Amino acid sequence: MLAVTEPLGNIPHVILGLYLLMLVWFSVLAYRRSRNSEEDYYLAGREQGWLVSSLTIMATFFSSYALLGAPGMAYRDGVVFALFSLNVPFAGACIYALGARIRRLGRARGYVTPGDMICDYYGKSSPLRILVALVGVLYTVPYVVMQIQAGGILSQQMFVGAHAYDIGIVVLALITMGYVMVGGMRSVAWTDTVQGFLLMLGMLVGGTAAVIVLGGPSGFLESLSKLPHESLSVPGTTGFWTPAMLFTVCVFGAVGSIIQPAQWMRFYAARSTRTLRRSAVIFTVALTLCYLFGVMLVGLGGQALYPLTHDDAGKLMPNPEVGTTARGFDNILVVVIKDHLPRLMGPVGAVLATLIFVAIMAAAMSTSDSNLHATSALLTRDVYDRFVRPNASQHERTWVGRLVIAGCTIAALVLVLVSRHSARFNPVGMIIRMGLLAIAFSSQLIPMTLDILFIRRGTRQGAEAGTLVGILIVLVFSPLMPPLGKAFAGVLRDLRCTIDIGTWALGGNVAVFFLVSLFTRGPDPARVREFARQMTEEKGSTS
Amino acid sequence: MPHRSRKTLGIILTVVLLVTMFMGVGPGLRLINPDPQRPGSAFSLFGLPTVYAWGLLWYAVQLIIILVACFTVWRTDGDENARGD
Repeated sequence: MLAVTEPLGNIPHVILGLYLLMLVWFSVLAYRRSRNSEEDYYLAGREQGWLVSSLTIMATFFSSYALLGAPGMAYRDGVVFALFSLNVPFAGACIYALGARIRRLGRARGYVTPGDMICDYYGKSSPLRILVALVGVLYTVPYVVMQIQAGGILSQQMFVGAHAYDIGIVVLALITMGYVMVGGMRSVAWTDTVQGFLLMLGMLVGGTAAVIVLGGPSGFLESLSKLPHESLSVPGTTGFWTPAMLFTVCVFGAVGSIIQPAQWMRFYAARSTRTLRRSAVIFTVALTLCYLFGVMLVGLGGQALYPLTHDDAGKLMPNPEVGTTARGFDNILVVVIKDHLPRLMGPVGAVLATLIFVAIMAAAMSTSDSNLHATSALLTRDVYDRFVRPNASQHERTWVGRLVIAGCTIAALVLVLVSRHSARFNPVGMIIRMGLLAIAFSSQLIPMTLDILFIRRGTRQGAEAGTLVGILIVLVFSPLMPPLGKAFAGVLRDLRCTIDIGTWALGGNVAVFFLVSLFTRGPDPARVREFARQMTEEKGSTS
Repeated sequence: MPHRSRKTLGIILTVVLLVTMFMGVGPGLRLINPDPQRPGSAFSLFGLPTVYAWGLLWYAVQLIIILVACFTVWRTDGDENARGD
């Protein structure tokens, strides 16, 4: 058993044990209620109410991005990153504006994955279905990787021992894999509900703790006023968050996060449009407050408690007490909580600190489970069912989906382990960087989605060409791209610093989609009219 | 609420929401951004960092937009007949 770091005593073992037992219990309950059909496994019978829907949408959106990445970025760049919170109300508006139409179409036409809807609208097309599934998988891989990575960061801070990081990532990955495989969407949604509460609590307690540590609200604000001027202005200490960068990340990142496959399937699973309306409001109010008055305060207070330093090359680094590498910024919340709460509040502080750590684990698990579950649906429905065994029974497809979950989890785990132990291969950087890359991929669904839901002028060939170009641009901009010479690398670096890479790709995607659509034939007009009618008519859930 | 009025209000709220993004996290930030190079720049407003206070202001506007949309534009007739949840 791993020994716990000194200030926390044995409390983490007890609370973590209880939390993990609860997850197992939920998965068993969900399995016993399941009806062994594909629709039940992937969409919980399309019967999710407003409480479960709003918390599962929030928990999927939250991730370790919220509890480790956001305070880490606020710690590094200063107050400018607090403005990132404003992407949440925009995403909240999209939950209803896009989600309600997606839900109505999904219910009327029996869709399970985003590919079902997109390909049904544009006409049966194998390349388009594969492209949509590919976007989903490309989104999921970095997202699951960063959640597993968060488990390692957390374990390293909570427990002592040379293998704390490795054990942390393996435990988080295997437990998440287990309950998603057993209980499907119902298990994911129920655990997300508890995890959603936990992580809201964690975000707010974290912010409150940072304020208390610095002597209450007045002491906190006084400490902030003494921060370097770069930390209190735009574009922040690293100069990365220019208004153009912030604007494009907040607008397109918000929409990209809301139409990523796991969220899209949550719209199909919602019981009614009213469910999504309530979810949009709860999401906007609760999540933004948790950001603005929770984790962002930890990052800003962290700068006062642990001043930033520079390495010999002049590169901005976290305080050595927080971390010794550029990735170490992400540790700030854990370090503030672990170092100060038990000292300030004794055993109660240790319990609160552990609860926050469990909340971080919950954030990571709730996002991994949703994304693994969505990937399983994409690869089973959009690939296996169409191209490998079109006549497979629902029972067989559900089992293939479970195997996909296991395969994806193990692949993500191996990627994290290899990048940690290899000096030459390390695509896994700071959490926010991985998150933005994932969202850049999912943003490539935006043109098709807006076309189907509102514009209805695009064509299948336009959608295929635009999406392909968008994916290629993201790949060229990503750290996965092998170096192609100094001059090219310099141009790419300059472009990356102007606006978000997802927006560059989106620009290429929209331009190609528009041009190709001008010269090709659109979908059958009768089908387009039927779609337009079905997406605005409430049907199927009326009494 | 008549369909046409709801549609008009929906367009207005969408435009205002985009304006809040432009002002809150976009080029509008330049209006209040304190310049570290210029002496006398106001880095705080009512004790809060100026940039943070600016964010809170636009969040309040966004919240009003979402609440107005929730009680007007998003309240469709079919939706109100949906079985309880």
